[in-house]
Amino acid sequence: MKRIRTFSDRALLLAFVAGVSTTLLLILVPVLDAVRLSLYQAESFISAQTWVGLANYTRILSDPTFWHAFGIGLLFAITTIAAQVVLGVLFALLLDQPFPGRPVVRGITVLPYLLPTVVVTVIFQWLLDGGLGLFTVWAEHIGLGRPAWFENPTSAMLILIVVSVWTWTPFVTVCFLAAMQTVPKSLYEAARVDGASAWMRFWHITIPMLAPMLTVTVLLRSIWMFNKFDVVWLLTKGGPLSATEHLPVLAYRRAFSQFDVGGGATVATLSFLVLTVLIAVYFHYFPLEEKEEKS
Amino acid sequence: MSLRRSLTARVTLLGGVALMCLWSFFPIYWMIVSSLRPERDLFAPPTLIPTSFDTGFKAYWTLLELTDYPLQFLNSVMVAGAVVVITLLVSVVIAYVVTRYRIPGKTIIVGSMLYAYMFPPMLLAIPLLSIFAGLGLADSLWSVIAAHCTLTIPLGVWLLWGFFKVMPLDLEEAAMVDGCTRAGAFFRVVLPLSLPGIVTVAIFAFLLSWTDYIFAFVLVSSDSQKTLPVGLASILGTFDARWGELMAGATLIALPLLVLFTFLSRYFIQGLAAGAMKG
Repeated sequence: MKRIRTFSDRALLLAFVAGVSTTLLLILVPVLDAVRLSLYQAESFISAQTWVGLANYTRILSDPTFWHAFGIGLLFAITTIAAQVVLGVLFALLLDQPFPGRPVVRGITVLPYLLPTVVVTVIFQWLLDGGLGLFTVWAEHIGLGRPAWFENPTSAMLILIVVSVWTWTPFVTVCFLAAMQTVPKSLYEAARVDGASAWMRFWHITIPMLAPMLTVTVLLRSIWMFNKFDVVWLLTKGGPLSATEHLPVLAYRRAFSQFDVGGGATVATLSFLVLTVLIAVYFHYFPLEEKEEKS
Repeated sequence: MSLRRSLTARVTLLGGVALMCLWSFFPIYWMIVSSLRPERDLFAPPTLIPTSFDTGFKAYWTLLELTDYPLQFLNSVMVAGAVVVITLLVSVVIAYVVTRYRIPGKTIIVGSMLYAYMFPPMLLAIPLLSIFAGLGLADSLWSVIAAHCTLTIPLGVWLLWGFFKVMPLDLEEAAMVDGCTRAGAFFRVVLPLSLPGIVTVAIFAFLLSWTDYIFAFVLVSSDSQKTLPVGLASILGTFDARWGELMAGATLIALPLLVLFTFLSRYFIQGLAAGAMKG
């Protein structure tokens, strides 16, 4: 650790202060501005703003569409996270086995995660196209008729879930696979000598050893899935009617198409509160100091 | 051990691997194949393996001629390039100073970076628009660049912090004892040793910027300022059911990433495992 002594120290420190303050400004100002906007009534970002105090909050919190969107968000987050974790762990276990061509297969399983969400949604919209989409044609072949995938609330939600699981499972796979390499092989050898089956070894060694890492993954995934905007907006725009409208879509619609910037900011601030609770949990279990010592 | 695996176990394993590849790769395969089918084939019931390919790449040419795609490609390249450069400069300085100097409250600084990194873009995008509108920067590539930096700088600081922290101070001190200045020690010792970390940060800054839809969607409204992801989404709205062209557009966005990944997969995997890609 250095004390500040020379001219180049000072120059470096100046650059540091400039960098940190610009970054925090770019993030803090928007957040504070969202909180401020939630206390005003305004029709657009450039029109006049009138102070309304907490009126937006009482209005939004007593509005059933808010709670509907909250529930939809929970349903979407919980189902997608559960499916991602199960599938991701399964993939990681497969990829941990020796088989020919393993490096290539590992690469292939990561690809969905690298694609931009827009590309992913356009591909699935083509697969589900009402005219000649491959899945539509297959559904017709097996006698399901031509499903109007996006017009039925259940199938619209299912599509969102499947597409999200397809895209974000590799995150779990990569994390779990990397963490599996840290479990000492001697534990497995000992268990094998004692006659433990593959399932028992997985359940009594792999899972407990990787529990902290799984907790981080689930936390990070909850933070991100709860606030996923693009996949929902691009596939269903919250529809049909409002069957797939969760909080981010609700905030966007309020602010941009219903001329209710205050209401949109209120929804954003409320989701920000939920998020802060999740992040606080994350920091509680994984404090930075501990990380500093470990590595 | 695994050498004496039974036949059923091996068949199950290979079957599972095949299913996993099918699940992961089929949509990508379908995108590429659809962009290369001759037009008439797209208006007939689809065949899994195409019977003929369009060697003239007609879907690609139509797309490039009829839409703002070439311009938007350029926009995306400029935005991503600027984001990578800014991210590297700023995050190297921050991470280096945090690990090498006595800075009061450095845990708070790094912690708030990580906190900021977890932020969902949508929550930042709406107020950022109102701020950029106030500064007269709305609907410009500058606003998109600044917005992308809110994702990439915290990520860069976070990853490089991990790198610089574990690098022994002795090496730099030895260089300085031997007559290097601090800057000399930084450029000759620290930078070469942390190159893998710096490459990882550059890759993910590029990736986050190149794939971003939300910020560009909220901040930009005119066609000439759009980046590729927003451009593609708006083509879907106007060009109804021109799937060949749409798949060509999707392939063009995905291609640079697939190429990068083929050559730099080591850095990708390393970064992914460190949680470098949000979302």
